[in-house]
Amino acid sequence: MRADIPMGTREETHSRFLLTALVSLLLFGLFVWPGDSGSFSWLGSGSEDFQLETVRYYDLSNVQGTAKGWEREERILICVPLRDAEVHMPMFFGHLLNLTYPHHLIDLAFLVSDSKDNTLAVLERELTAIQASTDPSKHFGEISIIEKDFGQKVNQDVESRHGFAAQASRRKLMAQARNWLLSAALRPYHSWVYWRDVDVETAPTTILEDLMRHNKDVIVPNVWRPLPDWLGGEQPYDLNSWAESETALALADTLDEDAVIVEGYAEYATWRPHLAYLRDPYGDPDMEMEIDGVGGVSILAKAKVFRYGVHFPAFSFEKHAETEAFGKMSRRMGFSVVGLPHYTIWHLYEPSVDDIKHMEVANSGQQMEQERLAREKEEKEKAMKEQKMKESFGDATGQWEKDKNEIQNLAMQENKKAEEQPAAGQQGGPADGPANAAPKEEKKEDTQ
Amino acid sequence: MARPLGPVRLKRTSPGTIAVGIVLVIVILYLLVSPSAPDFSAARKATAALHPLSPPTSPFRKSSAVGGKAGPPPVTRYNLNNVTITNDPVGNRENVLVLTPMARFYQEYWDNLLKLSYPHELITLGFILPKTKEGNAATVELQKQIAKIQKHGLEKERFKSIIILRQDFDPPIPSQDESERHKMANQKARRAAMAKARNSLLFTTLGPDTSWVLWLDADIIETPPTLIQDLASHSKPLTVPNCFQRFYNAEKKAMDERPYDFNNWQDSPTAQELASKMGKDDILLEGYADMATYRALMAYMYEAGADIHTEVPLDGVGGTALLVKAEVHRDGAMFPAFPFYHLIETEGFAKMAKRLGWQATGLPNYKVYHYNE
Repeated sequence: MRADIPMGTREETHSRFLLTALVSLLLFGLFVWPGDSGSFSWLGSGSEDFQLETVRYYDLSNVQGTAKGWEREERILICVPLRDAEVHMPMFFGHLLNLTYPHHLIDLAFLVSDSKDNTLAVLERELTAIQASTDPSKHFGEISIIEKDFGQKVNQDVESRHGFAAQASRRKLMAQARNWLLSAALRPYHSWVYWRDVDVETAPTTILEDLMRHNKDVIVPNVWRPLPDWLGGEQPYDLNSWAESETALALADTLDEDAVIVEGYAEYATWRPHLAYLRDPYGDPDMEMEIDGVGGVSILAKAKVFRYGVHFPAFSFEKHAETEAFGKMSRRMGFSVVGLPHYTIWHLYEPSVDDIKHMEVANSGQQMEQERLAREKEEKEKAMKEQKMKESFGDATGQWEKDKNEIQNLAMQENKKAEEQPAAGQQGGPADGPANAAPKEEKKEDTQ
Repeated sequence: MARPLGPVRLKRTSPGTIAVGIVLVIVILYLLVSPSAPDFSAARKATAALHPLSPPTSPFRKSSAVGGKAGPPPVTRYNLNNVTITNDPVGNRENVLVLTPMARFYQEYWDNLLKLSYPHELITLGFILPKTKEGNAATVELQKQIAKIQKHGLEKERFKSIIILRQDFDPPIPSQDESERHKMANQKARRAAMAKARNSLLFTTLGPDTSWVLWLDADIIETPPTLIQDLASHSKPLTVPNCFQRFYNAEKKAMDERPYDFNNWQDSPTAQELASKMGKDDILLEGYADMATYRALMAYMYEAGADIHTEVPLDGVGGTALLVKAEVHRDGAMFPAFPFYHLIETEGFAKMAKRLGWQATGLPNYKVYHYNE
């Protein structure tokens, strides 16, 4: 080496030494400059003020999901399917902002499909406002608003849409929407996924922690809904969370490949124990019940359940579809699926098709008059709520737009002499609801 | 070591040595800094995500030059109605996600991947590797090769984004030796684990802007460079080329090739019959003498000199090379890690896709080649 260095004069050596020392110091200074790496980005890219990172590395064993995710910085993805849900937005954002799980660990993903109202604009406005808040504790993590229209594949006839026969294809479409949402939004850094419908009226702000604490692969609360007095005050809402029965299994064997068993219809008497009917208002909210089918109103699942391939079958899987088949597939893969019979959240009340039928019957008699009086009274009490209910149940588990219109017309005829419009405009039953009310009532009595 | 004359020598040569030392320091520093020096063009930067919390199929901004703390992620809208899936994916700038479960790193695989002529700025690569000793070694090698391309390669060589995942479960059989791997008794557990790996990779990387998913096994070492364009030109939900293997034929005393992937098949009444008599948890396997299914295997449908674009419908597919429209996966079609109609993994995937209304298509005369160990 030494031989390679031309030996100049003392002055030359000194100046060269000084120069190189300066340059190296400068470079070194840039390199170890305290703070973010952006400080030397100009060095490479010139005009652009940022550099690209194109490689991501994740160890999935770090995102298994534990009982105390909030202490271990576990990220949770909240998935919300939406359709014509503008009216529910204020209520939904109220719940969202009040969640006690650290917001920076929550990523939000919305799927807006086939919506004709202002859902998209309201959603974007509200979310942007949250992220722009001066209080950083309100800020959420990644927020994705995904648009995808699936179109109307359902038979337009009123009877077939509300009847039992339409349930299978309706559930398959809802399943498809959920799968599109999840597959576009799930990331390698998620430990948990929470599915939540927009039309939940009342739920604890600690619901994420409450469910997570059980450390189950899949867990759902009990879902009820309040009712007007003339219908009994309250009612189990979600009948899709159930434990399998021998009768149902035997029934499943007799059905053809594409058949979908739907709970709450006389056609399929399954005699399954439903989470909903096991509720005791004074029971231990931590009590667990093993279930096989799950309802989609509020599902907390470990992200690995979805990573391993469990999804919402948009085909008949073990004679079920959507969330119920999700429960079944989770069990098939050996995951724990649990419901909490005494931990209850409340779904918004909207008159179901059966309620309307009830009105129809009453229409001929004077009973109608009394009912209308009771109804009006309630409407005054719940003016705000009624306003919301003008619109149909609006998320992916809801009715099709045309559905809504059809039934609105139906109801309008029935209520044509009613002076107030709201009653006529609030139709469209919940996904699992439209024809459910009657069997529900019967079974409720059975189990009590 | 201690040399008595040291001080004398040092005194005489110190300026030069120090100069050399400084030059070396500068060179080292330059090398440390320079990997990020050749950066991306503005066009590519325009497609980057603003925040690290973003779809992994997008590159993201390392950090803002303004410095200070980055704000919360923005609200981002994705319109999946606009994600096209057409037979002209290059013309329509369609994003392709190339997914590879990897247990071993083969240089030939990587070299072949780099030769793909599909625009690299539209390709995202996703890898999943087990956390075994072998997997660790493969990860190191993979990262080395990735750094070479993404940091020092020409911009047109660099891929849009790359995701490396490490599996959260152990593979059931530690050995990847060919004989061990193909033992029938081991197949169910091995393929269930493979299914979980594929699903983990798929559902965490698919994101909102992928049009096509190309499954390419880590031991596929030779494909036409136009693989993606060729398969996509058929515009089928699932498209599978025929997977062969080159070997030294001792009889002919020359290189030869033979069919390799037997998971591409058309169903047979015999197989249906077998399945109907099976228990719920049993699976049908292809390519084993003690389970003759008499299915029509695409591996044997190859005709030399025939049209490479000949199509055949398939009921079961292999995953060595498989192009899938992203919407098939988005609908929920995945790789069952449990017996699904007595099928598992890629074969179960074809069945599940079919249940969702998506038919698989094979290209018997379009060949890709598997590594020979």
